[in-house]
Amino acid sequence: MLEIKHTLCPSCSVGCGINVVSHEGDVVGTYPYKRHPVNEGKNCLNGRNSVEIYENKLESAIVSNSDVDIDKAIDEICSNLKSKDNITLFCSGNNSVEDIEAIKNFAEKNNYNIALYADNIVGIDGEVASYDDVEKASKLIVIGDVLYTNPLIGRRIIHAKDNGADVYSFTPEGSVTANVSDEICDSIDDVLNSFGDNLDESSVIVFNTVNSSEDLDKIKEISDKRNSKILPVFSKCNSKGACDIVNAQSKEEFVELLNATDVLLVFNDDLIPEIDFDFASISTIVSFVPCENSTSNASQIVVPIKSWLENEGSFVNAMGETQTFDAVIESDALGVDEVIEKIQDKL
Amino acid sequence: MSYFLARSKNPDIQEAGECGGAVTSIFKYLLDENIVDGVLALSPGDDIYDGVPTFITDSEDLIKTAGSYHCAPTMFGDIIQKYLSDKKVAVSVKPCDIRSIDELIKRHKINPDNIFTVGLNCGGTVSPVTGRKMIELFYDINPDDVVSEEIDKGQFIVELADGTEKGVKIHELEHEGYGRRSNCQRCDVKIPRKANIACGNWGASDGWTFIEVNDEKGEELIKGAQNAGILETKSPSQDAIDARLKVEGIMIKMAKKNQDSNYEKVSGIKEWDRCIRCCACRDVCPICWCYENCELNKSYFDASEVPPSPIAFQGIRLSHMSFSCCDCGQCDDVCPMDIPVSLIFDKLQKKYQDRTGYVAGVSDDVKPPLYSPAKEEL
Repeated sequence: MLEIKHTLCPSCSVGCGINVVSHEGDVVGTYPYKRHPVNEGKNCLNGRNSVEIYENKLESAIVSNSDVDIDKAIDEICSNLKSKDNITLFCSGNNSVEDIEAIKNFAEKNNYNIALYADNIVGIDGEVASYDDVEKASKLIVIGDVLYTNPLIGRRIIHAKDNGADVYSFTPEGSVTANVSDEICDSIDDVLNSFGDNLDESSVIVFNTVNSSEDLDKIKEISDKRNSKILPVFSKCNSKGACDIVNAQSKEEFVELLNATDVLLVFNDDLIPEIDFDFASISTIVSFVPCENSTSNASQIVVPIKSWLENEGSFVNAMGETQTFDAVIESDALGVDEVIEKIQDKL
Repeated sequence: MSYFLARSKNPDIQEAGECGGAVTSIFKYLLDENIVDGVLALSPGDDIYDGVPTFITDSEDLIKTAGSYHCAPTMFGDIIQKYLSDKKVAVSVKPCDIRSIDELIKRHKINPDNIFTVGLNCGGTVSPVTGRKMIELFYDINPDDVVSEEIDKGQFIVELADGTEKGVKIHELEHEGYGRRSNCQRCDVKIPRKANIACGNWGASDGWTFIEVNDEKGEELIKGAQNAGILETKSPSQDAIDARLKVEGIMIKMAKKNQDSNYEKVSGIKEWDRCIRCCACRDVCPICWCYENCELNKSYFDASEVPPSPIAFQGIRLSHMSFSCCDCGQCDDVCPMDIPVSLIFDKLQKKYQDRTGYVAGVSDDVKPPLYSPAKEEL
């Protein structure tokens, strides 16, 4: 039976709605969700391709490159957790609020380290700009090629521009963001120093990249000084929600923690392409993922979990709005909370 | 060509359906007699502004598809060709739906023997988020309090639970940038005569649906539903027929005016430089069906070029399908960068139409224009 169901796009933190098409029990495509207030049926290529995860689902747990049943994998995980001291749980912005809370409880109960890396963006507390604030802004500083990477926030920047806003950017020359900018600068420092003083209370600094904590400090300093707002746009759908539950770490802090880790449990993420670290130095890596990735390929133990399509829960989008979603297809796979429960029962 | 006024003989459907529930009853007849495997129609999602395409296989479930959605600019052509091509399907179609289906039939992507098309006259659709904003701004009504909406007598009319109605003239809404989608404002095909039957309230008395029967299959639909005891019909008066044609004529005249004032804007389109090459316009287009074999995926184009050269990107799409553009506006709807894509495609189709007489999804040619004699004459 053909079915079209509403859900949320998992491809970045904007929080777009997306319709998923299922047919005869398989996920077969997407369809515009035009009623969704964030994106009105518009989805970027990453968003539309996000359903491909279903075709590549992991069918079985893996221990030392061999398929095993899930209980055997759980036993193996428990054995590692019992026999080693420095255990770190990595919770990702790919997980739902409910999953992150389960991971945090698991860490606290067993005295494990908990880590969160969210695009090197740390210490963003309090209110951030809404998408309407961006659209109505008089001046915008845009850091990163936001139009290309996060097009449905990029669209709000276009609307602001159409409404007469001045747009100052640090983005590659010739990029789509550059094409709608009044001024393009060579560095984050440059754009903040050159145009920070132009900002006012109806201005917003939108950024999806920072190189260092100094960049972030400067963004916060200028927004405080000019009474303007900031909108950090994360690369993962629930990084904002994750940061509200667990303190995010800078890249340096995270690498330091990895250096002191014997067993790393990675929940639904692919750290290897993102973090420059010798992961082979960690004695045991366990990946809980819906489909294989670079990190699961380097893991000693891999446990399949529900993909976002099979899950339900909530994400917090970049502007801090909690959005709930339902499963669009039935699944026998375990959710993060169920996997944790199984491990906890055997510890 | 023949005309009927029709309504359901089933009291529940008559109550739930628009204009006496004739459309829902015809679908019920097709399902109950096992003439089709399913009915593709809209059912409510989040609220009345959210019509979700739904494939109904049990006639008991049809009641949830009853009623009309002016804030649900969906497209059925691509759903049928992508997912339901092996099924016998009955489908409710706006003019742009049936035009896309007709173009896909010409491309052998939909088997005409497998579908029954129940057309719905269309004065245009409103994007759901725009519709809600518009109701807040111009009607001073909480959009959540609205129980139904309709476009009638040049107004967008909303009805509240207590039965009160409020209407605002469409041209006033559109002057302020609200109202119907821009492609709908230009659309001059208001009655879907390529569908087996075309249904609507224009010319109909209260509680009845005015039906224009367009072909033999349409005649069989009406007769079958009558014989099954679910559809009651009567002949419309000449005044009703004339009134319907008058509404159509006024709408077409408005559309032509909008075409004239908008086509000239094409040469000034500067938005191409914000195209992110996401291909959403191509992927949603009901006429584009090549997918993996699309020219835009070929190695001789630099896929990393963002924004792409308009000639090498939109130009290729224009050359491939603009002559078949049915102005459904889906490309505008899904473009994350708000590029007014349909305007240029629609303008080119009209140019092609002026030269060849070919109206996409309306003309009776059996082949798409690229393969038609009309192309040779150009």
